[in-house]
Amino acid sequence: MTEAIYPQVRIVSARFLRPETAEKLLNRLVQVGGIRRMSINGPSVPATVPYGPARGQPNPHPDRKVIRVGDQDVQLEVQVGTIILELEDESYIPAIGEAVDEVFADKGFSCTVQQGRFMKTRPTVSDYAKYGPDADTKILGLVDPRKKEGPVIIQGNK
Amino acid sequence: MAYKPQYGPGTSKVAANRRKQMNPNQKLEKMRDVTDEDIVLLLGHRAPGAAYPTAHPPLAEQQEPDCPIRKIVTPTDGAKAGDRVRYIQFTDSMFFAPCHPYQRTYTECYRFRGIDPGTLSGRQIVECRERDLEKYAKELVETELLDPARTGIRGATVHGHSLRLAEDGMMFDMLQRSVLGEDGIVRYVKNQIGEPLDRPVVIGKPMDENWLKEHTTIFHSLVGTPYREDTEYIEYIQRIHSLRTKYGFMPRKE
Repeated sequence: MTEAIYPQVRIVSARFLRPETAEKLLNRLVQVGGIRRMSINGPSVPATVPYGPARGQPNPHPDRKVIRVGDQDVQLEVQVGTIILELEDESYIPAIGEAVDEVFADKGFSCTVQQGRFMKTRPTVSDYAKYGPDADTKILGLVDPRKKEGPVIIQGNK
Repeated sequence: MAYKPQYGPGTSKVAANRRKQMNPNQKLEKMRDVTDEDIVLLLGHRAPGAAYPTAHPPLAEQQEPDCPIRKIVTPTDGAKAGDRVRYIQFTDSMFFAPCHPYQRTYTECYRFRGIDPGTLSGRQIVECRERDLEKYAKELVETELLDPARTGIRGATVHGHSLRLAEDGMMFDMLQRSVLGEDGIVRYVKNQIGEPLDRPVVIGKPMDENWLKEHTTIFHSLVGTPYREDTEYIEYIQRIHSLRTKYGFMPRKE
């Protein structure tokens, strides 16, 4: 869960990003700093075929890749369409806008930076029913807290 | 006076495209060449060159009941041979795909025989005898009804029609059945249900944006032909809506 005092930003591109573009954008955002939490959203790219007659077979997909963000490897499980950021304070927002413009300058499509509230601030009844009282509140509302792999922690911003 | 079907209302380009696709007297523009073997690979129902498995003995070998309808209707080749019923399914992106599910169903019903189409919001499936299916699928893939980037041949996991396009202009596909190569040519590397193919099936170059906007059958209020501007279409829809509301399932004008 998040404290309501932290500003949030959502970066939405007009097209889904290739892993290389996402890597470039995320690294540029990490350079800007001031990010407390970050969530990458988009349609799922599963490791195995989820349903249909070929269910369970491996699903080789060129966009399901490991990218390097800061000093960490991140396994992409989605095709990146939206990035949600929680920031230390509002002073970082203009720099994030510039970073996004820089990355998308030579692309043929646009990308917008929106400010608002995009992460949950408290668990809902459904969250309680699904994940119980001891769910990890750091990631509740961003991803499934029951997932085995925890969040990727990128250090060195401070 | 003999009845002449109008196929659909509308004065816009989109409406004209819809009518063109539905009208069986209009020949659809052929855009690409795909071999019969490629179609069989894409469908994934049988191995290329294998015999057609059958669901019942050929009609000529079995006793048919004395039925007036059977005397009127000529069976299709597939029905005659007793083929299994198999399917092909398409997903059409909302970003100016040349066809869309309802349109596909109308088009197929006017153009093909012995089919059972299923229409859903994001996908359209058509079932028929295997032999007929391969013939129809070839037409659906080779003509202007398909764009390599904005149309997907997807038997399962069809998600993607209403999503943003990928950076290279391809519609999102969880299973990435078709890949846009460096040379700008789209190749299917998996069959319609997502099983890898032994060799890629070349479908061709994606059409450019202008061609798509010119040939689409989808209204788009922001970047295409807005539905509201086609007053004839609106009038027609409103008429049907009002008649249905007034008379339930018995629309009859006073």
